[in-house]
Amino acid sequence: MKNDENKVVDTNNTEEKKPSLSEILKAEEAELKAKKKAEKAKKKGKVAYDINGNIIPDLNVKHVRGIESKKSWYGFYFVLPWIIGMILFFLIPLISSLTYAFSDVVPEDGYMETTWVGMENYKFIFQNDDTYQLNLLSSIGDFFTQMPIIIIVSLILALILNSNFKGRTFFRGVFFVPVIVATGVVMGLLTQSYGGNGAIIQLSSSISTDAYSVVGTGGGMDFSELLNSLELPEEITAQLNIMITDIFNTIWTCGIPVVLFIAGLQTIPSQLYEASKVEGATAWEEFWYITLPSIGQTLLLVIIFTLIELLTKADNPIINQAYDQIKNVEYGLSSAMLWLFFAIIGAITGLIILIFTKTCLKRWE
Amino acid sequence: MQATMSKADARRLKKLKLKAARRDQYKRFTRSKGGNFFYTLFLILFGLFSILPMYYCIITSLKPLDELLVFPPRFYVISPTFESYLTLPSLLDNLAVPLSRYAFNSIFISVATTFLHVLVGSAAAYVLAKTNIPGKKVIFAIVQMSLLYNAYTLEIPRYLIYSALGMIDTYWAYILPMIPSSMGVFLMKQFMDTNVPDALIEAAKIDGAGSFRTFWQIAMPNVKPAWLTLTLFSFRDLWSIQPAGTIFSEELKTLPFAASTIAQSGIARQGCAMAVTVIMMIPPILVYLVTQGSVTQTMSSSGIK
Repeated sequence: MKNDENKVVDTNNTEEKKPSLSEILKAEEAELKAKKKAEKAKKKGKVAYDINGNIIPDLNVKHVRGIESKKSWYGFYFVLPWIIGMILFFLIPLISSLTYAFSDVVPEDGYMETTWVGMENYKFIFQNDDTYQLNLLSSIGDFFTQMPIIIIVSLILALILNSNFKGRTFFRGVFFVPVIVATGVVMGLLTQSYGGNGAIIQLSSSISTDAYSVVGTGGGMDFSELLNSLELPEEITAQLNIMITDIFNTIWTCGIPVVLFIAGLQTIPSQLYEASKVEGATAWEEFWYITLPSIGQTLLLVIIFTLIELLTKADNPIINQAYDQIKNVEYGLSSAMLWLFFAIIGAITGLIILIFTKTCLKRWE
Repeated sequence: MQATMSKADARRLKKLKLKAARRDQYKRFTRSKGGNFFYTLFLILFGLFSILPMYYCIITSLKPLDELLVFPPRFYVISPTFESYLTLPSLLDNLAVPLSRYAFNSIFISVATTFLHVLVGSAAAYVLAKTNIPGKKVIFAIVQMSLLYNAYTLEIPRYLIYSALGMIDTYWAYILPMIPSSMGVFLMKQFMDTNVPDALIEAAKIDGAGSFRTFWQIAMPNVKPAWLTLTLFSFRDLWSIQPAGTIFSEELKTLPFAASTIAQSGIARQGCAMAVTVIMMIPPILVYLVTQGSVTQTMSSSGIK
């Protein structure tokens, strides 16, 4: 009886008494603490308790326990072969080449003897070798002038080749086959890039670089020879030669972007175009509001691919310079040269990706 | 009015409609006549530039010796012969390995590596694009970074790894390093991000499909153009692969090596050099026909609409 009375009195008291300011603050503080605790626990993946020892349910967390979480680990089997390969053939060599860039490297039997020299390699490059800086500037400048042309020309080609017209298959063949066929030796033989000073076209993976040096008198097309035989004034011949080389370079570099663009264009659902036709959109509007936004990801892919093609192709002056250093067994120097170059490429790419995703892709979503 | 229209008029009207329909079917990118003209010109001009060296190569391979030495070189052949092709095997007599062995090596390496590369790359891309494995972002960052480094930077340390693994002078030296090339993962992920709807994968899971089945039967058909394109690129790169310091046995070398040996044999062998070039062109063209032929077909749009 007594207890019961007390309780009643107690409750009455609390109801009557207004909570003081300090009490409110205390309560708020406790609440905040509990919240923080819950957040912390969420990050760790544990369950959070409030002050009373009850579990705080977190409504934002997806419940990934059970089958779902097992499945997400199952995903690792999918990436595992690739990860192993990546570590073996990319990450380990990458780290060792980074150490080479800051060391003096002496090849021993089966391994490399490295002594740490800090920035000595870079000092040497910048003090004793003017060509490196010039090459660096020229290859980056070339890249910024060629990139827009290649992207625009290949997008136009892809759009034309993706539209419906008579002989589409034939024209696709005309544009792709030479590009697909001409790699490495075939490329060298076709254009005789080292035979004469004619059309110098190089679009090959780095592996096949040695092909060029061995291709001597292939018997492929030599434009300068052909132009000379026309017996035009010398200046015109020279100008034509440069022009033809430029056009060739553009077309042959465009091949892969065109293929990529077409693959991207193929994935745009035709319903979108049907809808735009119903709405009465012009071809121009159709391009800006449907085609371009739909291939945003592909465009990014093409930009990156072109960047890699342009900056890492075999006739890049920096790469040639570094390769010469490899031949001179100056592994440290060559690594240093390439690392600086690729750091710059990386920065440019990162910037492009950032700007592109922040502006274009966001707006197009 | 309709009643007064004669039979001939009706026929003419029908014809006109048919014509219009046919014209619609082959509508080009722009609708104006000037635009059509410009695009046709663009196509023909660029097309000529792109096809010319190949055409010249085929023509040269068919020329008899006396026509080969004509200056300036002709763009046509008067009496075509297959002589250059027939003398090819005898040219390689001093190489101890028959031409067919080089061809076998090239085909084996290209096909096996392309298959593995596409499979491994798409599997990794599928996981990166469509599941929530821990460390996903780190892995993709590595993919993007590795795209920028070409083989030169890594050549020497890679060689050390090859020799440590005993891969020098075996087929593995061709195959293994090319499988984890990150282009495949990058390309496939970009396409899977946009073209494989999450709802489709959920639906498959609810229907009881396992992870592999979801990947193989749901995700992959949806990005068919992407992996067909990847196959083409991969084959193209591998077909021209030439060993750089990793292969020494003659019987393990590839066709490009044989081709450059023939090309070195002098001006009189121009025909043979072009003949071997023509032979080397055939497999990539076949791959092109197979892959792009099905890319141009309509996409698999089953599932979600």
